This record gives sequence, C-alpha cells and structure tokens, in this order.
Amino acid sequence: MEEEKAVIRTENLNLYYGEKHALIDIEISIHPNKVTALIGPSGCGKSTLIRCFNRMNDLVNDCRIEGKVIFNEEDIYDVDLDPVLLRKRIGMVFQRPNPFPKSIYENVAYGPRVHGIRDRAVLDEIVEKSLKLAALWDEVSDRLHDSAMGLSGGQQQRLCIARSLAVEPDVILMDEPCSALDPIATAKIEKLIGELKERYTVIIVTHSMQQAARVSDYTGFMYIGKLIEFGKTPQIFESPAEELTNNYITGRFG
Amino acid sequence: MTKTGFFSKQSESASGIISRQKGRITDSIIGAVWFFTAVFAVFTVLFILVFLLRDGLPVFSEIRPADFLFGEVWNPGGAEPSYGILPLITGTLLVTIGAMVIATPLGIGSAIFISELAGPRLKAFVKPAFEMLAGIPSVVYGFFGLIVLTNQLRIRLDVPSGESWLAGSILLGIMALPTIISVSEDAISAVPREFREGSLALGATRWQTISQVLVPSALSGITAALILGMGRAIGETMAVMMVTGNAAVIPEPIYNVLSPVRTLTGTLGIEMGEVATGSTHYHALFGLAVALLVITLIINLSAMAVIQRLKGEKRSSFRISERYRDYIIKGLYGVVFLLLFLATDIITALAVLLLAAAAIYIRRHLSPGVLQKGAFGLIWASAGMVLLSLAVILYDIIIHGYPALTPEFLTSSPSGLGREGGIFPAIIGTLYLVAGSILFALPIGMGAAIYLREYTRENTATRIIRTGVDLLGGTPSIVFGLFGFAFLVLYLNLGVSMLAGQITLGLMILPIIIRTTEESLKNVPDSMREGSLALGATRWQTVRNVVLPPALPGIITGAILSIGRAAGETAPILFTAVVFSRRFLPDSVFEPVTALPYHLFILSTNVPGSETNQYGTALVLLILVASIYLAAVILRSHFQKKAAW
Amino acid sequence: MRTITSRDLLRVVGIASIIIAAVIMSGCVGEESGKDVKTLTVTGSTTVLPIGQSAAEAYMEKDAFADILVSGGGSSVGVQAVGEGTADIGMASRDLKVTETEKYPDLITHVVARDGIAIILYKDNPIKSLTIAQVKAVYRGEITDWKELGGDDLEIVVIGRDSASGTREFFHSEVMNSEDFVRTQLEKNSNGAVKKTVEQTPGAVGYVGLGYIDSTVRAVMITDGETAVVPSVENVINGKYPIARPLNMFTKGEAAGLAKDYLDFIMSSEGQKLVEEEGFVPVA
Repeated sequence: MEEEKAVIRTENLNLYYGEKHALIDIEISIHPNKVTALIGPSGCGKSTLIRCFNRMNDLVNDCRIEGKVIFNEEDIYDVDLDPVLLRKRIGMVFQRPNPFPKSIYENVAYGPRVHGIRDRAVLDEIVEKSLKLAALWDEVSDRLHDSAMGLSGGQQQRLCIARSLAVEPDVILMDEPCSALDPIATAKIEKLIGELKERYTVIIVTHSMQQAARVSDYTGFMYIGKLIEFGKTPQIFESPAEELTNNYITGRFG
Repeated sequence: MTKTGFFSKQSESASGIISRQKGRITDSIIGAVWFFTAVFAVFTVLFILVFLLRDGLPVFSEIRPADFLFGEVWNPGGAEPSYGILPLITGTLLVTIGAMVIATPLGIGSAIFISELAGPRLKAFVKPAFEMLAGIPSVVYGFFGLIVLTNQLRIRLDVPSGESWLAGSILLGIMALPTIISVSEDAISAVPREFREGSLALGATRWQTISQVLVPSALSGITAALILGMGRAIGETMAVMMVTGNAAVIPEPIYNVLSPVRTLTGTLGIEMGEVATGSTHYHALFGLAVALLVITLIINLSAMAVIQRLKGEKRSSFRISERYRDYIIKGLYGVVFLLLFLATDIITALAVLLLAAAAIYIRRHLSPGVLQKGAFGLIWASAGMVLLSLAVILYDIIIHGYPALTPEFLTSSPSGLGREGGIFPAIIGTLYLVAGSILFALPIGMGAAIYLREYTRENTATRIIRTGVDLLGGTPSIVFGLFGFAFLVLYLNLGVSMLAGQITLGLMILPIIIRTTEESLKNVPDSMREGSLALGATRWQTVRNVVLPPALPGIITGAILSIGRAAGETAPILFTAVVFSRRFLPDSVFEPVTALPYHLFILSTNVPGSETNQYGTALVLLILVASIYLAAVILRSHFQKKAAW
Repeated sequence: MRTITSRDLLRVVGIASIIIAAVIMSGCVGEESGKDVKTLTVTGSTTVLPIGQSAAEAYMEKDAFADILVSGGGSSVGVQAVGEGTADIGMASRDLKVTETEKYPDLITHVVARDGIAIILYKDNPIKSLTIAQVKAVYRGEITDWKELGGDDLEIVVIGRDSASGTREFFHSEVMNSEDFVRTQLEKNSNGAVKKTVEQTPGAVGYVGLGYIDSTVRAVMITDGETAVVPSVENVINGKYPIARPLNMFTKGEAAGLAKDYLDFIMSSEGQKLVEEEGFVPVA
C-alpha cells in the first residue's frame, strides 16, 4: 500500500560511466515525508544513485542511463521533461558546503530569483522562512548582508540547506552533508533533518552507519552498484535479511 | 503528461511556470548566440586564409613551389628577380627562438616573483609596472631599439653595426614579457592553497614547493602564456623591421647572433607599400603571408599537443621516462659538449664542461635553505632586470619627450609636416580606434569564451574552435592590416575609414580576450556551478549570477592587455584607417582618422628634424595608455576587494 | 564586506559606456566642419609625402573649406588607391610600371618635382668624393673596406632601401646598371631611417633624397669625369649632378575641381618654392 504512494521509484535502473557499469538493476521506492538513508562502502554507487534523481549526472561526460526513474508518476528522463524545472522540485545539498561568494541574504534569495520572483517583500519573507526552517535564523538575522564566506562550516552547510529550501522542493537529496563538519555542527544538522521530514522527503547518503541509524526511517544498503537490501531502519540494523548487509553492519568489512 | 500539466501543482506561482517556459527558450537562444561568437573566430581565420590565398596562389604560376619555399635568394628587384623565402623563414625562426630564450626565464621568474615572493604592497606596484610594458607601442620599441639598443650593441660589442638578430631578439623578448608574465602569474596564483599547504606540511622549503609543486601544477597555464608570448614575437612587424638590419641572408655560422637577418613580417612591412599591385612581387608577398600563417599553425599545433601530453593521465609513460632519464641527461651532456667543441675548441669546451660539473656537484651538496636563497636571488634578479628595461625605456622617452609637452602641443593640429604644432587630432583618433575595437571584440570574445567553458564539453568542435583562436592570436599584425585592406577597404568598399581600422584592430585583440576570459572562467570552482544548477537555475542564470562576477577581475586583465595592444599598433591601421593629416575631425566612422602610433612612425622615418615632436608623441601615447591602464587597474582591485574568496 | 553582484557588472558597463560617450563627445570639441567642405585624399610615396603635406597645409590656409587628407604607405599604395578610386591623387617616387599602366590605363602623370639622390657617409669619414663606379663597387660588395678607397681601416657597412622602394629602384637602374646589390646590405624602409643609421654608424654608407642631408652626415661629391659635383638642388637643375629622378602625382583622368586647384598650386611658383624648401628640386 505504501509502495503506491512512493514519491520516487526506479524501474530496472542501470547506469554506465563509459564502459563501467556503475549502477546495476536498481529497484528502489522512496516513501514520502520520511528520511531514507543510503549506506555502503566507498564506491558502491550511492552518490551516483541520488544524482540520478535530480539529473545532475547529465553534467558528467560519457554517462548513460537505462531504465526509468519515476517521480510522482512521471518518468524524469522523458525527452520532454525539463531538468531545470525538475531541480526545483528535487533539491540537493552537497558534501562540502558551497555557498556563493555573495551575502547570506543573496545566497538564499538566489533560487527564488532565478525562478522569477522579484518582489522584495516576498523575497524577504522567503529568506526568513527558509533560514528559520534551517535553524540558522537566530544566528544570522542581524547580519543578513554580510558575506556568506564568513560563516563557520556548519553554518555554511545550514545556509546551503536553507538555500535549497527556499525554492520549496518536495524532495531534498543530501550527499554526505556532515562529512566536512565537526560533531557539534553534525548534531545540529541531524536534528534539523528530523524536523525537515514533516514537510519534505529526505534522502541522505552517508558514510556513517551510526548516523543512518540515528536519523533515518528507511535504509538501503548498496554494494558495488547493487542495492543489496532496503527496508525500515530498525529492521536493517537489528535483523538484516542478507548476509552481506550483516557483514557490513557488524563491521566485518567497510 | 507533459511537464506543464505536472508541475502546475505548484500553487504559488502559476505565472512562474510560464516565465520558466520562456526561460527555457531564452536559454537555448542565448546558448546559440554564444555558439556563433565562438565559431566566429574559426570563421575569421579561414576567411583571412582564403583572402590571402586568393592573392597568393598566382605566384605559383610563375615560380615552382620548391623554389619559393627553399630558394636561398630573395631579390625581387634584381635584374633576374628571385623569390626564395628560405632566408626569411630562417630569420623569423631565429629571432623568435632568441626572443623566447630571453623571455622565458625572465618571464616565468617574474611571474613567480609576483605570485609568491612579493609582499602585497610591492605586488601592487610591480604588477601594473609589468603590464605597463605591454602599453609601450611597438613603434616606440622600434624607435628606442634603433636609437639606443643597436647603438649600444655596436659600441659595446665592437661590431660595425648593432642591427642584428640579437637586437631583434632582445627587443622582441622584452615585448613578449608582459603577456608571459601576466598569464603565467594568473596560472600560478590559481593553484589551490591545499597544494601549497600540503607541500609545506611535509617540510619542504618554499622554493621546493614552488619549483616542484606549484609550477608543475600551473604548467598548462604557463605553456599557454609562452605560446601567447611566442605568437607576439613571431607576429611583430614594426619593431623588428627597425632593428634587425633587414638583410635577407642566413647567418654564417648559423649561431652568429650579430649577423643581420630579415623576418617574414619585416619583409611584408617594408615591401608591401611599394609593390605594384598584381605583379609577381605582389603575389609573392601574399604567398609569404600564407607561409607565415602556416608556420604559426605548425607551432601552435605542436604546442597544443605538448599541453595535452602534460595534462594527460599517462602515468605509465612517466615511469618509463624516469628510467631512461639518466641516459637522456648523459646524452644531452654529450651533445652539448660536441656542439661546444665544434663551435670553439677543445680547451674551451672542456673548461665549460668542468664548470658545469662543478656547479652540479655544488648544487647537490647545498642545503635546501641555501639553494632557496640562490633561487630566490635569481628570481629577484629577473624581476629586477625586467623592471630595469622598463625604467630605461621610460627614462629615455620621458627625458626627451617632456620638453615637447606644452598645452599647444596637446590641443592643436600639426603643422610644418609635424615638426611644429600639436597632435590633438591624433589623440582623438587613437581614442576612437581603441574604443571601437573594444566594443567590437569584448562581447564576441566573452561570448566565445563563455560558450567554450560553460555550454559545451571538450570535443572535436571545441578543439577546432580553440585552434582557430590560437591561430588568430598568432596572426601577425601586418597580416591583419593586409586582410583589412583587401577585404574591408577594397572588397566591402568601406574605404580607408575608422570603421575598417576598428574592425581590424578588434580582430587582432579578439584572441587575447577569449583566452584570458576562458582562464578566468576556469578559475571559478565547479562547486559553485553545481550549487546553482541544483537549485534549478538555467545555464545562463548560473553563468550570469554565479560564474561571471568572480571572473570579472581576470576578464578585466585581458581587456587591459588588449587596450595596450590596440592603442599602440601601427601595422593594422597603416592601410585601413589612417591619413597623416587632415584638418577637421572625422564626422562619422566612415572617414579616416589620424592616430598617434602612425604619426610617430611617419615622423621618425620620414620627417628629419622632428626629433622633439617624435619624443613628444611617444610620450603622449605612453601617458594615454598608462591612464587607461590605471583606470582598469583601479576597477580590478575594487572588484577584488569585493570578491570574498 | 559586500560581495559582487550582477548589479556591479551593470555598473561597470555603465561607467564604461559613459567614458566612451565622453570620448566621442570630446571629438566634437574640435573644429566644426561645415556643409560646404570639399575633401581631397592624397596618398602614396613617403618620399613625396613632405611635398604633398606642405602644399596641403599652405593651400588649406588659403581655402577655409578645403580638407586635404594626406597619407603615406608607399608608391604602390598610391598608384593602387588612385587607380581603384579610393583616393583622388596618388603620389609615387617612380614612374608607372607596365602592369600598372595595363591595369589602370587612364592614369595621368603630373611631374611635381625632381629629387636628387645623394650618397651619404658617417660625419667623420675622411672621404670626400667618389666616382659612380666606386659607389657601384661598394654596393656590389666588391670593395669591403674604406682603406681600399683611401680612407680609414674600417669595414664598410652598406645601407640600402627595401627591395621595392622607388628610390632603390632608381638607384639600381642608374647607378648599379641593374646589377645585384651585395646580399648583406642592411635594408631600411625610408630615407629617414637610412639617414639615422648612417648618422650613428662609423663605417656606414647610404643613399637618400637631397632633402635629408644635414650637418649630421657627410654627403659625398660625385666625380663625373674630371670634376667632383656637390649634390645640391642647383646641380640637379643645371644637370651637373648625375643621379636625379622625377617625383610624380597621378590622377584618374584629367584633374578636376579641388584636385586640379591643388595640383595647379603645387606647380605655381609658390608651390615650387615649398618644393625647394623641403629639399627637392623644382620643375617649374
């Protein structure tokens, strides 16, 4: 029953970088308003997979996709579909915070601006709302027009989250968002993720199993391009069905 | 099923969707526009080639190609005319090699100086000073070379005449420096901080970091700088015409740097004006221009191949070459010894070899700290030498030109053939020409660079475009002048006019703008682009809002270098835009103008007794260019303060 | 600390446009040109340029509405320009070549002056006169040291003009009897450049138009038979100085309008006086 309401699902998804078969027969369904984590050792394809969801792989040379990725019942690789619009609905936060060399205000306002919103009052509202949602407002409300580059790493990452929230997506993809941050900043962001799922669907790629266990509702384990196992987080971590999953979780390999 | 139906679920901005759809069409149109600007450069080069061939091919109906290319005698005016261009090709190659030998160490050393060794205040003074060298017009260099350089060479080296290969190489070397320094310095500064820190963290000295990490990382940019510099040297006409002696001989022995030589460009510059249209000589000159372009193409293509190798991931080839490295080095020593022996005698050769061996031994046993002091000393010295040459040239011109600077000089028209009166019309004319050329070249150049960097991936098409741009950059100024004359003035019937001059100059500076804009765009990290695209911005929005602003300082650098070139060039405007004098200022772009470099050229070569005004003109031209530079430098540092990196 | 926005980009463009506009405006500060302005374009040989230019200046002083545009570029450019119609008058320091009369059959030649060619040496060179045969031998590379001519023990540095200069061509046919020059001669692109080099180089010898002789170089007398003749305007007029040639201006068809007035002016006594002042030989 829940499968029918999947916000993103893939059908027989295969991806090739040149000769290399990087994603093999992926079938996954992402549940709305939940946090889904993807875990697995380096090079297993988890970042590649989420980059399929917002078609950021289009930017890579020599990348070929077979199969389907369905977002709310639409095939996003359909020829008529505009990736630019897609990326408004599916946002992304990157591993290293990448704020623009502009002010805090301008960073957040950038998304709405490029989508056509010019009214200053509306922008002010959006900026405030997004910064609050990203739990950054209290720290920066008195210096919105200072350069974003002056913020700490954790603040910059929350700024990037606010920036993607400002365009009001349905889904937020996070590619190892805390790997460049200290534990305190990490904790703040993990708390934020928990709050975000009320309004958004979150998919997070993470290197840390513990983080996945802490924040996610569903977890998928990937290994060398394949999705080995997918299910509710407690089940994956306590009683995985696959032996491979079990070996990874218990740390037999990493 | 289409996107419109689906995305209309956004309740907030229904109008947003329609404007977004428009946005997509706009984006494609913009992309197409940039594509056309990029293709423009290739198109132009081909066009120039076609026009030159049109007038050059007929020569082969009268001379066999082998006789033309390999003939050793160039004597079109002789009783038995002979059109062999081998001595001219040799002259071009020798002078260029000499110039690069001088300019490469000085240029890279100075670039390292600015980027790594100079403190912020010193840097703020030295960097514009180096760029100043680009502002000195080629005719002024030639003028200085003729009066001071060749004379000094004659006196100090005790030879009958200083007009020689050496004089040409020294002058061209100095002229190529600002390009090499600017572009190399940009490349070195762009190496990420992490590389520096990684090396220092391992306990390497600063010099080791510079020589073994920074310079190799910046190698592609430095090679680009050297190619641009070499293009500058090959294509220079005026200066080389005035100091190499213009004797169409191959030096004997081949390394006799004091022999006079003549280059291909010098031949065009000297003979084009006085040749009868349609004669064999005329066609031979166009054939010569084609040969010049072909040489440039060969050099550029091989250089590009070298850069590809440097960037390539062929690790295995490195390993192999390391194994043979010792053999290669020993082999090189043998070759050098042999050459020395042939050139001098066995005793000198042995002495030099012993000295070299001693140097290497000492070097190996010096501590890195001492080595660093030595290397830094050399770098300071190279930067110092460049500044010294700048100072000498400026001093000469200022001292002799200052007496001529009166208010009348600046505001009245020339009289008495330019011996008296002023240069006001020439000042205005130069400003018009420069303004027009930048207006023409900047949008096209930036568009081409944006297309190459932002709208497409590396493929055959981009390589063709880049080759076209490089070729255009290596095209000698006199060839632009020839093309401008044949196509714009005659064929399009624009007549000798400001417009023809502006377009010709614009074409000449186009490659500089494309190159430097591309480098600036390259320096903006991809993470910025990804961040913007991930928010749903279009390509053009990303470029305009996120990529262009930080790239602006670099783009301005390119514009500065171009303005310097355009203001000082004589050859491109010689047949396309200028008259020596006219009474009224031009009313429209279809009328000819007077210009400062041309005025100086005519005065210094044809009007005896006008020395004071010659220097005065040179000085005014310098001041004009310096003020343009100053304005641009201020703009650039203003932006750099704003860019919070 | 603010950061760069696209508003800044616009600001740059704005400032640049203002500067460019100011430059263009300043051009209007110069003399106003009226509607009755007649223009005349004169182009070609840089040897003849001084005549064209000084005549233009004098003429414009008399006629307030005349705008005479003078430029150099070389004899061939002059012929081509007037032949193609891009200039009204072409100047050349030589006669038309066969290919040119074929291509532009309706060009009319006006001889506006004559030019003597003098052989010049470094100021302190003791040699005072040479025969034409000696000059020829030097330029053929048969004599290579001044001591062979009774001068100092010094290598001769041969200076000539570029291989298609009208001046050189004349020298080549009249002095060299069309035999080849020595290949190591240094080639300069104008009279002024030749003179400057000879001025600086102790072993140098060169040839220039009469107008370029001054106290910084020594002009040798040419020995024709018994007498040594000084290169001067009178000696060209009275025919004693052997190396002299005509300087031409060409029009397409008969001269008319401003071109005719201008040429008439040059041929008038006032114009010919200017010719003489520039160091050339008047013809009228």
